[in-house]
Amino acid sequence: MLRIRNLNCGYGSLCVVKGVSLHVSAGEIVSLIGANGAGKSSLMKAIAGLITPWAGEVSIHGEQTAGQPAWRCVSHEMVLIPEGRQMFADMTVHENLVIGGYHNPDRHQTIAEVLRRFPRLQERIHQLAGTLSGGEQQMLALARGLMARPKLLLLDEPSMGLAPLIVKEVFKAIRELRDQGVTIFLVEQNAMAALDISDRAYLLETGEIILEGAACDLAHNPEVKRAYLGKGYKEVWE
Amino acid sequence: MTLFDRKNEALTREDREQIQLERLQALVARLRKNAPGYRDILGDIKVESLTDLARITPTTPRHLADAFPYGMFTLPLREVIRLHSTVGADGVPLVVGHTRNDLTQWARLAARQLVSAGCTAHDVVQVGFSGGMFNRSLAYVMGAELVEASVIPQDTPHPHLQLAVMQNFRASILVATPTQARELINAMREKKIDPQSLQLRAVLLSRPVPAAERDELATTLFAEVRCNFGIAEILDPGLCVECREHRLHVNEDHFIVEVDKDELLVTAITREAMPLLRYRTSVRCSMEEGACPCGRTGAVLVPQGRMDDRLRVNEIPLYRRQIEEVLAQTRAAGHPFILSFSETSVSVAIRVSAQLFPDTVRELEALRKEVESECFSRLGIRAEVAFLSPITFGRQG
Repeated sequence: MLRIRNLNCGYGSLCVVKGVSLHVSAGEIVSLIGANGAGKSSLMKAIAGLITPWAGEVSIHGEQTAGQPAWRCVSHEMVLIPEGRQMFADMTVHENLVIGGYHNPDRHQTIAEVLRRFPRLQERIHQLAGTLSGGEQQMLALARGLMARPKLLLLDEPSMGLAPLIVKEVFKAIRELRDQGVTIFLVEQNAMAALDISDRAYLLETGEIILEGAACDLAHNPEVKRAYLGKGYKEVWE
Repeated sequence: MTLFDRKNEALTREDREQIQLERLQALVARLRKNAPGYRDILGDIKVESLTDLARITPTTPRHLADAFPYGMFTLPLREVIRLHSTVGADGVPLVVGHTRNDLTQWARLAARQLVSAGCTAHDVVQVGFSGGMFNRSLAYVMGAELVEASVIPQDTPHPHLQLAVMQNFRASILVATPTQARELINAMREKKIDPQSLQLRAVLLSRPVPAAERDELATTLFAEVRCNFGIAEILDPGLCVECREHRLHVNEDHFIVEVDKDELLVTAITREAMPLLRYRTSVRCSMEEGACPCGRTGAVLVPQGRMDDRLRVNEIPLYRRQIEEVLAQTRAAGHPFILSFSETSVSVAIRVSAQLFPDTVRELEALRKEVESECFSRLGIRAEVAFLSPITFGRQG
């Protein structure tokens, strides 16, 4: 569904993502994990067209999208749910949902479907988005993304700033979305939580993928610990 | 079609290339970060496509020997949870390390072979060789457990005992060396046991055998016969799966294979403890691609023998130098000898001189026993010792 080859991108003269290749097949949850500053969000923005890749290929459903603007990416049935939720705080839950379905001619029907999936939002439908709790805002971000009826959902740090119990709820919702046929590419700093719900994962370190594999295998890999904690591996044998 | 991992064994060419590129790039990045030895080999080579692999200097058996024991490990020893020894070029000892994930992958790859041979959760798998001499037996035990078959790991290679186990436990899959399979047939003949009275459905041989030999075994044992082909320095079993068409399909989601000047080169892209880049296997090989009726899409290897002087005695890989080293430890040290090899034993003809053996037959007998015992305890092989006079020795030498 999503295929990336040798993607390079960055800001100014600083190269942040260095020749990354990865793929996400239909029906999978794939995680991209890594420490702060590894380049995860930049990679996500390059896929979604928010920053222009310097080099490399991005294809969605076999169609090249590298360098296309963000608004075009929506037409490839791909939606990015950005880091920090990015709600329209002064608008109601309903208005946020309507904006999410801007390209969807059946948006009013979709609103009903989405609210059935997130009943808490139904209760808050006329409330301003800025007054929702962190967990509710994340649910609204998910719901707003679903308004475009995506086949591929890019999720950037959905657990950020949420209490552990709420994180569980959000991840449960993500798993349910996959069960309903949405393919998910998840960028997450909370490695263990992400690996727990993923089929496969990639570990990004200083802009390069250094590990790839089944999520259950990566959970036991010492490199994951090292990438986060930065333990020195100078001695090959002791 | 019977595939253990349908998704990865039947990858489309496009998917396979994507997965191989991703894993190769990750491996190169990891080696650059963690393995100072590889940093020099890799230099500033960027891997942007699979064709870039050809720009990397191959790893040779000499590299492995020089790095003995742990120099090729790319993780600290504390992450390596199993160590296996094997024999490298010229008989030098080598160590192959496995992390927890390496063992998990190894089990999955062994399971692919077992399932291809017809193994299911309802089968009883008898692994006929011991873990001490053949490391691969442990992989088959793990693989059979993964398939949820009942597995009998065996330590006794005596054919009569193997046969008794096979009868008593109603083994339906036998994993054995070709020599063991033949010994088993002989044991059945001696004991007048009809192979059809056994539950045996399939035999998985430890190495490829000629088609005629395979067919003969299959006809005699009334069972499907499949072969394994692996490289002990990398992973054995695990490199290939033999399908029902008797084609050795490479597990290309784990290995990238190349043939350079008729020699098989293997890159292990998923191994953690000891991933080898473009390892020169000293195996003469050709490669075929194309669709196979079995459904697997991995390239097909046709191994054509060793390019070095590795021998095989009683299924144990052996180099002439190893025998010479053993003889150097005995009282025959420094005296001329002639070696000749058969499938099951090695013959050592030692020149008898008046200086070495001044008088009695008893001393010759003691030396014969010493050489035989040293060969068996150090190399696990049977030696037949003969003594020749200088004149006969000159004629034979």
